[in-house]
Amino acid sequence: MGTLVIENIVAGYGSGPNILRGLSLTVEAGKTYCIIGPNGAGKSTLIKVIAGMLKPREGRIIYKGELLNGLRADQVLQRGVCYVPSDRSLFPDMTVKENLRMGGYILRNSRLVEKRIEEIFAQFPILKEKSSQMAKNLSGGQQQLASIARAMVLKPELIMLDEPSLGLAPKVVQQIFGTIATLRDQGLTIVLVEQNARKGLENADQGVVLDLGTNSFERPAVEVLHDPRIQELYLGKRRQPLQTENTQ
Amino acid sequence: MADKTSSEIAVQKPRQPQISKTSLWLRNTVSTGIFVVLALFPLLQIAFDGYNYWLHMLLYVFLYVIMATSWNLIGGYAGYISLGHNVFFGIGAYLSGMVFVFFQISPFLTAPIAGLLTMLGGLLFGLIALRTRGSTFIISTIALVLLVTELLDNWKLTGGTNGLPMSMITLEGQYAKIPYYYYLLVIMILSIITSYLVRHSKFGLGLRAISQDEIKAEVAGIPTRRYKILAFGISGLFIGMAGAIWGNYLTYLRPSIFLPVNIGTTIVLMAILGGKGTVSGPAIGAAIMIAINEFVVAKLGATELNIVVTGLILIFVLLYFPEGIVGTLKAKNLLPSFLDWD
Amino acid sequence: MIQIIQVLILGLALGGVYALMSSGMTLIFGVMRIVNLAHAAFIIMAAYISFWLFKLWHVDPIVSMAVTMPVMFLVGVLYYKVMFASRADNPRFTDITVLVTFASALVIEGVLSYLFTGIYRSTNPIYATKPFLVGPFFVPQSQVYATAISITLIISLWLFLRYTRVGNAIRATMQNRNSAQVVGVNVAWVSMLSFGIGLAMTGAAGSLLSFIFTFFPSKHVAWIGMLMSLVVLGGMGSLMGAMLSSFLLAVIAAYVSFYWGPTWAPITFYLALFLILLFRPQGLLGKKMDG
Repeated sequence: MGTLVIENIVAGYGSGPNILRGLSLTVEAGKTYCIIGPNGAGKSTLIKVIAGMLKPREGRIIYKGELLNGLRADQVLQRGVCYVPSDRSLFPDMTVKENLRMGGYILRNSRLVEKRIEEIFAQFPILKEKSSQMAKNLSGGQQQLASIARAMVLKPELIMLDEPSLGLAPKVVQQIFGTIATLRDQGLTIVLVEQNARKGLENADQGVVLDLGTNSFERPAVEVLHDPRIQELYLGKRRQPLQTENTQ
Repeated sequence: MADKTSSEIAVQKPRQPQISKTSLWLRNTVSTGIFVVLALFPLLQIAFDGYNYWLHMLLYVFLYVIMATSWNLIGGYAGYISLGHNVFFGIGAYLSGMVFVFFQISPFLTAPIAGLLTMLGGLLFGLIALRTRGSTFIISTIALVLLVTELLDNWKLTGGTNGLPMSMITLEGQYAKIPYYYYLLVIMILSIITSYLVRHSKFGLGLRAISQDEIKAEVAGIPTRRYKILAFGISGLFIGMAGAIWGNYLTYLRPSIFLPVNIGTTIVLMAILGGKGTVSGPAIGAAIMIAINEFVVAKLGATELNIVVTGLILIFVLLYFPEGIVGTLKAKNLLPSFLDWD
Repeated sequence: MIQIIQVLILGLALGGVYALMSSGMTLIFGVMRIVNLAHAAFIIMAAYISFWLFKLWHVDPIVSMAVTMPVMFLVGVLYYKVMFASRADNPRFTDITVLVTFASALVIEGVLSYLFTGIYRSTNPIYATKPFLVGPFFVPQSQVYATAISITLIISLWLFLRYTRVGNAIRATMQNRNSAQVVGVNVAWVSMLSFGIGLAMTGAAGSLLSFIFTFFPSKHVAWIGMLMSLVVLGGMGSLMGAMLSSFLLAVIAAYVSFYWGPTWAPITFYLALFLILLFRPQGLLGKKMDG
């Protein structure tokens, strides 16, 4: 179990402007972090940088004492950091089982992958039921579950979820967060990006507010949830000009 | 750290450098000068003879300037690349040529009508083809020119692959090229003026919006379908007219003169090389490509390597200089004013 | 009645080869969103290789596949690396690929023309002119062999994609490039491999076509017209679609050829293309693509 240290990350896409402008954050092992903030603040970008999908322009990411930035996506996976992208992102014309198998792609040992899949099926019986169905035919909630399960095949220590509740009905969102709670109980470090700020914060230990590419706020989730300014901005109360606090 | 949120920071647009009044004057004068020289050039031939080679070269340049500038309306402004655009060239040529062969009506009279009919054909084809996105559209334009080639190759009435000969209808001897010269010169000026007018109109703005992001353009209320079809049709007008004249100029009507894919690719190359999406770019590209071609032919002979050169230059420009000459110069603020019509 | 079945047989016999030609092109699009308009030019390149192997050393064209397939695979990998590898993130990528590959086709045509002139060529193994006779029907041996080999290759490809780790990686990349990256697939490497495989298919196709048709450098124009129609009709990126459209159009073209003459056969393909664009632009088995 290790700490993820994010130091002064500057990142952007292609030759475009910097989206992340000097973001620093420490993610402690075993805790659940929820990152909220307005669109374009860099929430998804941060996750992609950590996962090795996007190279940062400046800054470092250190996990368990090792430099993560600059590694390829599969190398990041090998170090126990998994990523569940937003909007389900399954392989639509593959079966659920094939999707899970792809989750174990970097494990070249197919017997091991099959064993892991069996464990996943034990934990998520609904997926076993649907195992030979095409991923595109699953319901939204089932797809999200499958997406999370696919990341679990590698038995990660740190899992990052990008907008897990996106496009799902409230009841289904409840189920998904139930699953996330299970992962929490298993001791995983979880980094959550959520538009549904309330739901995300309710299920996290720490809340991080990201705006303008840097974090403007980090507090225990409960405090963030009840902070009047945050409530205005992100949780939908009456409007007032924002005054954010500088974090160091 | 920031003390305003993203929602409070106003977006500031960098101001566009304005073209200065002296540059404007210079541009207009130089350009007018060029056209005056072109208009007066045939007098040399009338007076002294021996300039036929240059007249032919200029005719060639006029032709390709017309085709590249017209292509630019749909390919550069709207961003819909047509690789088979010379199909309009062939259609215009055959329409006018057939009328001449069978009814002896001069192409000089029928050219505008051929142009309009070609435009109509373009509008109709656009109705079908412009429902598709980028790469499929390009494919359908290639398919169109191939289809028309097949049809003309196999139709007895048009003489099949051998085509039909025509007689040159105008003046004798050393004056023969001159009417064609002036006719194409006029068409060329008209096509450039049209390109300029479109560029600086609401229509042109809409086309550019389409080329950047069609969905956003549509959401913004721009009648994208209508604009695209219109641009495609207009782009066929002058090419059709030019085809009518060129057919008679060469005194021969044959698919292999007008319809090979090589010509369509050359048009695209000229526009992109010069700078697609700009007014002067295609014309510059046409002039330069023809000059390069003449040079290559002079040095290496008219071999198959010509299309190798065309292909290689196109690849190079596409990958490394997609903005073309005018576009790249403009981005670096190095563009001489007489080329800056945008 | 006999004639109708005969025409059907002839159409099906050609369909297999068309399927081989179009499957490579559609695979390349499916994995990398590259519209390879040089596909036919590469096929002709391979045909020339087979031709010279046959002419100089009497190598049977089918045997020459052992040369053309690896050679074209390497050509594909190299070509991909030079042209496309670093540009895959450009949003206008697909449009650029159309133009670049088309220009490449012209370059290939020019070089082949310069080296080998425009003389019509074909290889002439013994079976090139002999037919199989089955009852009242005949079918050229060349086409039977070619289609049999083509179908074998396509099924092998399908099995490869289905049941091998690399094959699954390719499928994953085709279906969701981003997710493939997320699970650790090296999509750059997969893209390069897929382009190589697609071109290896042209190697095989070229060798087979060398004894079925006569070819010359500028023939790629006619064939790319046909291939474009097949790929668009089947649905760009769909191997099943390419198979379906290939057999379908081969049979239809055979009937058109029979009733109206062989010059009308090519027009069948173009008409099919325009019709499908009118009514179902994503093709028979393709998915609705965005932008």
